[in-house]
Amino acid sequence: MMTGGRSPGLLLVEMSLLVLLGPLVTGTIQKVKARLQCRAGAGVLQPYRDLTKLFRKGTVQADSASGFFRSIPVLVLAATVAAGALVPVIQAGSPALPLGDAVLLLGLLALARFLTAVGALDAGGAFGGMGASREMMLAPLVEPVLMMVVFSIAVAAGTTELGALAAQRGTSWILDWHAADFLGFAAMLVLLPAETGRIPVDNPDTHLELTMLHEGMLLEHSGPGLGCMVLASHTRQIVTLGLVSALFFPVGPADGTHATGLLLGAGVFAAKILALATYLALVESSYAKLRLFRVPQYLAIGFVCAMTALALRIL
Amino acid sequence: MSAGTVHTIVDDLGALLLFTMILILAAGQIYRAIYAVAAQSLLIAIAGAVLAMATGNRDLWVIAGITLTVKTVALPSVLHWVVKRMNVRREVEPVIPIAATLTLAVIIVVVSFHLSATLGPVNQAITGNALPVGIALTLLGVLVMATGKTALTQMVGLFASENGIFFTAMAVTQGMPLIIEIGVILDVILAVLVMAIMVLRVRSTVDADIADLDRLRG
Amino acid sequence: MVLVYGLNLMAGCYAAGALSCLLARWSGRLALVAGHMAALAGAVAGLGVSLGVLLGEPGLTLTQPLPVVFPFARLSLSVDGLSAYFLLVISLVAVAAAIYGPAYLRTHAPDAGRARQAAQGLALNVFLGCMAFLCCAGDAVTFLLCWEGMTLASYVLVVSDDRDGEDARAGLLYMVMAHGGTAFLLVAFLALTERGGAFDFAALRAAAGDLDDTTRTTLFFLAFVGFATKAGVVPLHVWLPRAHPAAPSHVSALMSGVMLKVAIYGMLRFAFDFLAPAADPLPLSWGWTVLIVGTTSAVLGVLYALQQHDLKRLLAFHSVENIGIILIGVGLAMILWRREGVGGVLATVALTAALLHTINHAAFKGLLFLGAGSVLARTHVRNIEELGGLARRMPWTAGLFLLGAVAISALPPLNGFVSEWLTFQALLGGAGRFHGPAGLGIVFSAAMLALTGGLAAACFVKAFGVTFLGRPRTPHAEHATEAPRSMIAGMAWLAALCVVLGVAPGYAMRLLDAPTAGLLHGPGASAVVTARGPLVLSTGLTASGADATAISMTMVAALLIALTAIAWVLRRGAGGARSHAAPTWTCGMSPTSRFDYTATAFAKPLRLVFAALYRPRREVTRETAGTPYVVRRVHYAGEVVDVAETQIYHRAERDISALAQAIRARSTGRIHGYIGFVLGALFVALLLFGVVQ
Repeated sequence: MMTGGRSPGLLLVEMSLLVLLGPLVTGTIQKVKARLQCRAGAGVLQPYRDLTKLFRKGTVQADSASGFFRSIPVLVLAATVAAGALVPVIQAGSPALPLGDAVLLLGLLALARFLTAVGALDAGGAFGGMGASREMMLAPLVEPVLMMVVFSIAVAAGTTELGALAAQRGTSWILDWHAADFLGFAAMLVLLPAETGRIPVDNPDTHLELTMLHEGMLLEHSGPGLGCMVLASHTRQIVTLGLVSALFFPVGPADGTHATGLLLGAGVFAAKILALATYLALVESSYAKLRLFRVPQYLAIGFVCAMTALALRIL
Repeated sequence: MSAGTVHTIVDDLGALLLFTMILILAAGQIYRAIYAVAAQSLLIAIAGAVLAMATGNRDLWVIAGITLTVKTVALPSVLHWVVKRMNVRREVEPVIPIAATLTLAVIIVVVSFHLSATLGPVNQAITGNALPVGIALTLLGVLVMATGKTALTQMVGLFASENGIFFTAMAVTQGMPLIIEIGVILDVILAVLVMAIMVLRVRSTVDADIADLDRLRG
Repeated sequence: MVLVYGLNLMAGCYAAGALSCLLARWSGRLALVAGHMAALAGAVAGLGVSLGVLLGEPGLTLTQPLPVVFPFARLSLSVDGLSAYFLLVISLVAVAAAIYGPAYLRTHAPDAGRARQAAQGLALNVFLGCMAFLCCAGDAVTFLLCWEGMTLASYVLVVSDDRDGEDARAGLLYMVMAHGGTAFLLVAFLALTERGGAFDFAALRAAAGDLDDTTRTTLFFLAFVGFATKAGVVPLHVWLPRAHPAAPSHVSALMSGVMLKVAIYGMLRFAFDFLAPAADPLPLSWGWTVLIVGTTSAVLGVLYALQQHDLKRLLAFHSVENIGIILIGVGLAMILWRREGVGGVLATVALTAALLHTINHAAFKGLLFLGAGSVLARTHVRNIEELGGLARRMPWTAGLFLLGAVAISALPPLNGFVSEWLTFQALLGGAGRFHGPAGLGIVFSAAMLALTGGLAAACFVKAFGVTFLGRPRTPHAEHATEAPRSMIAGMAWLAALCVVLGVAPGYAMRLLDAPTAGLLHGPGASAVVTARGPLVLSTGLTASGADATAISMTMVAALLIALTAIAWVLRRGAGGARSHAAPTWTCGMSPTSRFDYTATAFAKPLRLVFAALYRPRREVTRETAGTPYVVRRVHYAGEVVDVAETQIYHRAERDISALAQAIRARSTGRIHGYIGFVLGALFVALLLFGVVQ
């Protein structure tokens, strides 16, 4: 029944594209943030330089860590990148060979998070434990809301396969939005900083133990291991943005493999990611970090929006 | 404009109205609630203008204009001024935790959708979703009034509730007679002014807020 | 015919195992090993029978009359798809428990007396035999006999490990709750047998056909309460987190992984097989009740698990959670069956999800309990705050436990994810079918399921991290060594099951064909879920089935492995592999185990977020030296309450004792008076009976 569809080769290309562009998105956000705060800021390529540096360094490993510790960065990176294979980037439509859907994507991201938290406890320092504890407090609250947003789109389409959802959305844009899409998108905007680990939920720039969540878990990793973890969090960010853009914005045309279609798709993707990155930079510059125990309340806004979107959709 | 486009726009505006309502409910600071309610009034004005364009009803133009000037600009400015003048803590102090308020909000939304489904065919409603959204907005406004501790939050709630009534009226019957609408708006203006003056007077005389009224019990 | 021999063989093995306790006269150890080996043989025979029925021709039902024991009832066995499937689940875990058991009991309690060893061997075989034959029962008497045998045998096992009297209390509570539940079952079954005039299941089905709606619903709820007590559904779960940890670990694995499933079997058999086909499918109220109860159990179970620091108790609370997830599937299947009518696809998806989660939970919960048992056997400590650093000392146990933790947290690519994915798909499809609050209710249930998954992950990061990672906190943990090989083998068997069911779940769907088609009279699981080949899971949510969602766990697992290999090469190739060890960063102080995050600290943020439910109580006392700035020691005591326990049970307890006090004030203390009361009660009962007649 799947005629055509996205070929496995295209999926691999899209996945590699996400991994390669992940650091660029971080660099762009940093740059926009710096400009908004009237600083010159580092170049947008800075994250690549940081990664190269990390991969050249040696490793210092905690002497109390177990044998799992060394394999954790590798597994985290693999799980995150695999999640990237499930996002339609430049072409809509189901894959020719089935791979996974939105639920599986969230599952793979959760796997990466689980392993990161396990790694954080391994070295046996208080910072790792603190980061893991806080991260695992927020994750169970973010995941249901994300799932509800996905459901608010999927319940009308009858599928949770992201490529198929994007194909149903078609190429027309905001004019075709149903009322529920507005609320779903609002919920997603609330969630984005939480899922990408940014202000007002987490602060990626700090190493102060009172404020950090994700960074706390990376503290004992070093050298190439840390490089893998950092690359994984860049990838996680772009995958999340890709999920949002596949759910709410048009992805390139589903039919054929014309060069123009693919080029158009790539251009559209760049525009969408740039817009969302700018949004994140704006939020980061204009809000303060929330107290940890205020975050559930913040996420509740997203949950109510998502439930209302579902109410508009089903009732 | 075709009827289909109008339906879509009114539906979408309904969703955005609900979103602003959620923001009001979850606002931690009184300023944010005021901005949100101003945005909500702006959306109402847009809805009025769209309906006016679609139906050619001239009264709706007038109402949209009044909404824009009074509820989007004038009254929020008054509230803003009162907050500044009172020099109070800007945090909203809810009676029950905000999470509980939001849970109640979800229940209210569901119930109002359910109610309007059982109300039978209200055929005049311009779209299927307008009536439940209007009911939900009205009830949620009352919820804001019920859960706010200060008089200011209650003013915002009154405001939002009134927006809900407006939206219902516009979407279901294509607008009430002009005279009633103007009367309602005057009522709201009066209520806000009276409450604002009262809050300021109470504050300047005994340094208390309405949350402290329960101390008056014999 | 071969299959009937298999049944006889299974019975023979379990009986021989039970009798082998006589060997304890000569050597307790011999009795123990012989008992477990016989149980292993019985489990293998059970595997053979169940696979034979499930993979045999469709609709195959084995029937086997039993020798006449009671004059009033003919006992018989009858194995259809549903029976065979649950027999398979039982046998799979029983294999692991039988391999694991002897070494565990030897390591854990080397000084155990012969009597205890004999009793454990006997009870284990009776327990396994009763569970297996309960699923194969062909009439109400056999069913209830096995049910009681299962309860009694597991009671013996729960109290067999008694050290401090705590286990005896747990056993007593278990006994009381189990018998309360059985009373409900007895009423439900007897009401049917009385109408049908016979005890065999065919007569029960026929009798249920003539019932009016009110009676049918009453009977269903009676049976539901009875089975739910055994399944440990909130709020009937209070016995479970006490009794399961008290038993020897491989028995805990059986109780949590399998015995609860037997209750699910009973529920399915009673609702779908006996009561349903009578008129149109099940009333909506049944399905909604099951769905709501399931969702509540799932969320509350995991929330309470999160605050437990006793490893086995934590796992027991997770059983409450997973039974909830299974019940979500069952309830959804009931609702959707009603909604779509016979032949509907979506109900099949929901029931498939529930049944698949049954076997998945048996695999990973069995594995986790065995892992906890290995830790317990080597350290004799159940409180995870006193462990730590075991991954370096028990690497195999740690690795297998981690695998089980990933599986139970519903993370890909292991089996827990597959059944939750199917549940999500069924929930999504259900939400599309229902309009109004019903649809939103289903969606809310999906949100709660997602919450459950996230909380389970948090809980297992805690359980694994605090137990196995960091530094050892006590000498018990410091001097631990790896578990014996046979224990590792038992765990590895279940771990392999988790991997296979996760990576290639399509092949397991074939096993689900007979039970799903048999219960719903519709298409089988594999026709619905693996329509696109065994490597792809797909569901048709819309009526046309055009917009199917398809995933391939095999492909994702392959992708993960390939990416891991690439990342590994990338990491190895970079950096010239200079690597040295250094102490963990602790702000310049020399690190000790007191820097490690404890389980209490780890769970604290979530304790505060859900404070309304936990009602946490904490008590901090400081011992200072002269000035308040020099703190000698801090004593911290914290506690959370189980809402069901305080709100229902303690209240009931108070009321009953108040009533008893009131009665005591009036009682005379003379025995004649009491006998007079009995006479009076009998008289009134007879009078009432006469009036009714």
